[in-house]
Amino acid sequence: MDMKRDYYEDIQLLDSKVLWFWFIMLIAALGVFPFLSPNYYIYMANYMAINVIVTVGLNILVGYTGQISLGHAGFFAIGAYGTVLLMSYLHVPFFLALVAAAFIAAFFGFVLGLPALRLEGPYLAIATLGFGMAITQVIGRWQVFGGRMGMEAPPLTLFGVNLETDFQRYFLIIPVTFFMTWAARNLMKTRVGRAFIAIRDSDIAAETMGVNLTLYKTLSFAVSAFYTGIAGGLFAFLLGFINPSTFNFFLSIYFLAFVIVGGIGSIFGSIMGGVVMTFLLLELDKIQEISFLGIGQMLAAFSERWMTLVGLPNIASIIFGLIIILLVVFEPLGLYGFWIRTKIYWKTWPF
Amino acid sequence: MAGDILFSVDELSISFGGLVAVDRVSFNLEKGAIFSIIGPNGAGKTTIFNCINGLYKPDSGVITFKGEEITGLAPHRIARKGIARTFQNIELFANMTTMENLMLGRHIHMKTGIWTGATFFRRGSRAAQDEIRHRERVERIIDLLDLQAARNQFVGALPYGTQKLVELGRALALEPELLLLDEPSAGMNSEEKQDLIFWIKDIQDELGMSILLIEHDMKMVMDISDRILAINFGKPIVEGLPEEVQKHPEVLKAYLGEDESFDSAA
Amino acid sequence: MFLQLIMSGLSFGSLYALIALAMVIIYKTSEVPNFGQGEMAMISTFVAYTLLVTYQYSYAVSFVGALLFAAVLGVFLEFVFLRRAKDPNVLSLILITLGFEMVLYGLASWKWGADQRDLPFPVSDFDTVSLGPAVVSYLNIATLLITLVLMFFLFLFFKYTKVGIAMKATQQNAMAARINGIRTNRILSITWAMSSLIGAVAGILLAPIATLDPNLMLDPLLKGFSSAVLGGMTTLVGAALGGYILGIIENLFGGYVSLEFKSIVAFGIIVLVLCFKPSGLFARHYVRKV
Ligand SMILES: Nc1ncnc2c1ncn2[C@@H]1O[C@H](COP(=O)(O)OP(=O)(O)OP(=O)(O)O)[C@@H](O)[C@H]1O
Ligand SMILES: [Mg+2]
Repeated sequence: MDMKRDYYEDIQLLDSKVLWFWFIMLIAALGVFPFLSPNYYIYMANYMAINVIVTVGLNILVGYTGQISLGHAGFFAIGAYGTVLLMSYLHVPFFLALVAAAFIAAFFGFVLGLPALRLEGPYLAIATLGFGMAITQVIGRWQVFGGRMGMEAPPLTLFGVNLETDFQRYFLIIPVTFFMTWAARNLMKTRVGRAFIAIRDSDIAAETMGVNLTLYKTLSFAVSAFYTGIAGGLFAFLLGFINPSTFNFFLSIYFLAFVIVGGIGSIFGSIMGGVVMTFLLLELDKIQEISFLGIGQMLAAFSERWMTLVGLPNIASIIFGLIIILLVVFEPLGLYGFWIRTKIYWKTWPF
Repeated sequence: MAGDILFSVDELSISFGGLVAVDRVSFNLEKGAIFSIIGPNGAGKTTIFNCINGLYKPDSGVITFKGEEITGLAPHRIARKGIARTFQNIELFANMTTMENLMLGRHIHMKTGIWTGATFFRRGSRAAQDEIRHRERVERIIDLLDLQAARNQFVGALPYGTQKLVELGRALALEPELLLLDEPSAGMNSEEKQDLIFWIKDIQDELGMSILLIEHDMKMVMDISDRILAINFGKPIVEGLPEEVQKHPEVLKAYLGEDESFDSAA
Repeated sequence: MFLQLIMSGLSFGSLYALIALAMVIIYKTSEVPNFGQGEMAMISTFVAYTLLVTYQYSYAVSFVGALLFAAVLGVFLEFVFLRRAKDPNVLSLILITLGFEMVLYGLASWKWGADQRDLPFPVSDFDTVSLGPAVVSYLNIATLLITLVLMFFLFLFFKYTKVGIAMKATQQNAMAARINGIRTNRILSITWAMSSLIGAVAGILLAPIATLDPNLMLDPLLKGFSSAVLGGMTTLVGAALGGYILGIIENLFGGYVSLEFKSIVAFGIIVLVLCFKPSGLFARHYVRKV
């Protein structure tokens, strides 16, 4: 091999013309979408984007570094409450408040990462779970945080423009998501991300090669918490209102489900996971209204006869649970694994 | 070859529960030399390595590297001092490619942090430059060890012998002054072993690294070692030149069984 | 006041101890903390309720029925899902049990809605007896006694029965156990049945003092899990002690410091203990060999 290798090709995102093409198509589609679509779907897109940020963030910790967290709803809450409080009480401008709140979340992540250093498996699970529970309990009981009643998000102004509608917020949320996803992907391709992955694959080898486990495990928690904090801050404005019951234990599990469904240790998978699961989540919430094949009516009738009608939306929980179990058992790489296999299939098609 | 002493272990002991795994072991390693530790299974060889690179904290004893005591430092600190190792039961990053495994070996020499790493969007960015520079260095190691074919493969899927080489490459990428090799030839066929001996000599001569070697293949040990330490049940039996150790009656007895000779053991 | 707090701490501690035991039994054989434990117990308690209130069976029939149901449920979940996991690492196993949790929670909420119900119980929580300065309800006493008796039987079971000894062997070294002719798959089933059954006892004892709804076991599960971790996750005695320690500390904190933040203290303790003793109070830290 005489030709000198171009090492930048190893790490750049868009390393071929085809990718450039799809990349530009994606940006165009994202730009045009809100002008063509009904408001509800813009809201849904915003929701998806926020969950993509969380999924990417959680995947950095769970998928790339191999640590478990059952407390990410806590970081989400810190981001949401932090942003709202900083804006309402201290009149910090939105963007500053958002970043500051995410840094607060990152700080908590760092602190939580400290005991996590020496903990594995179930011990780490319980420590993070305890953290998440403690956060919800504190915000639920302290009046500063609005207690059980929750808090209203203040008006959201950015560069003098008041973002009141989902349509307007779309142009804030999507670029933020876009940037953060790309940044995460870059991070994983370079030194710090490599250290995370090394810790996941063999922490002993990583530390004997000079990776400071203390530092990098806590960093992973902090980065992950930062992402989740940003997402939480955006989420407060998506709903316009936050209360403690939103940030419960189940939310933490849902976040994990996003990661699993999308694909452990894959940024692209995180995007798919966040999008698909948010869609499911929002659609399953109004399952009675599905008119397709009369499913909604049938379910309602079934519920009346055998179960309860008020309980019907809980089908979401059942389906999510089943998805988690079935994926873990049959497709541990999630949608990403699926995607890879289809890609290979099409490449060799029709043979 | 009476060079400077690069590294020394003095009266090192460690026990697990009642078992004294290493019992007052001492030795010195001259700069640029290959020093081997031999002994039967469970003698405590790997445990000595684990103490040296900080995975275990010894109960007593002093470990000195370049005139500085390093006993009880955390593993990553010891790596930064310039000591790298391979493992008896391969400890690779199975879901990374060969290239990335070796790049991790560059970790302590690289500078990219979270922010610069996350925000490279151009060839000229600092993180990209850092990557490119170190990938070039790693490429040289890949060439040296003939790993081109495995370059972009996930190491988990590579054959055992190749994995051993990748591990060696990763340790080399750290550019250590002292290299600890724990049974590098285990599981290799004789051809691969031949190459390995060749490379270890290269590493010694051309890269100027000093090597501490644990190895069961007696022929290889006798071939390449400058000095040898034999231990059994954690206790040192004899230390000296290959010829001396080879002839020592207790070594013959403990290590080979009474009626075997070195040739049949290899 | 102090004695009073201790007494009710003991009563809650018993419940935590039961859940902790249930979790540890499974953890030792399947090496997974079973997050579905709470919902398994909750559903079993609902079964007891349905038998008792809807179908008007006697206490004995209803409770035994519910316990049987619990055992079958445990075997079912292990056999149908957990055993299928292809490459079971800790994370994927935890996720599967979280999946159980969601499915069972969803099923219960669908079937029984969010209504709060009362589970009738033969022993009253309102009739009390004075023990010195402390007033204790019959139900408290019953809870404590039932727990202690159950633990005693567990102890005998592991010590003297053939199955119990086989279970212990499997927990220590599954491979060696299999070579020695122990059918480890069957042991797994028995483990899950037992664990689920113990959890159901906790649920049935808890429901009369709490209210029966799908959230019944959410908090107790976390406390029970905390107790198990506190005790070291691998020792039955440790788990039981952990439960009582947690129950008492929590109650004392609630009584003297702040009732509001009573629940948080459990997690505070856990995080603190784990900081200093990563494997809990009563277990040795495991170092991986290389
Ligand atoms: N972390 C540990 N806990 C308990 N015992 C240990 C630990 N590490 C090593 N030992 C014990 O110390 C003794 C020496 O082990 P070591 O691995 O150093 O042997 P070795 O000389 O490398 O043998 P081999 O040739 O088989 O690799 C063995 O009895 C081993 O069981
Ligand atoms: Mg060894």
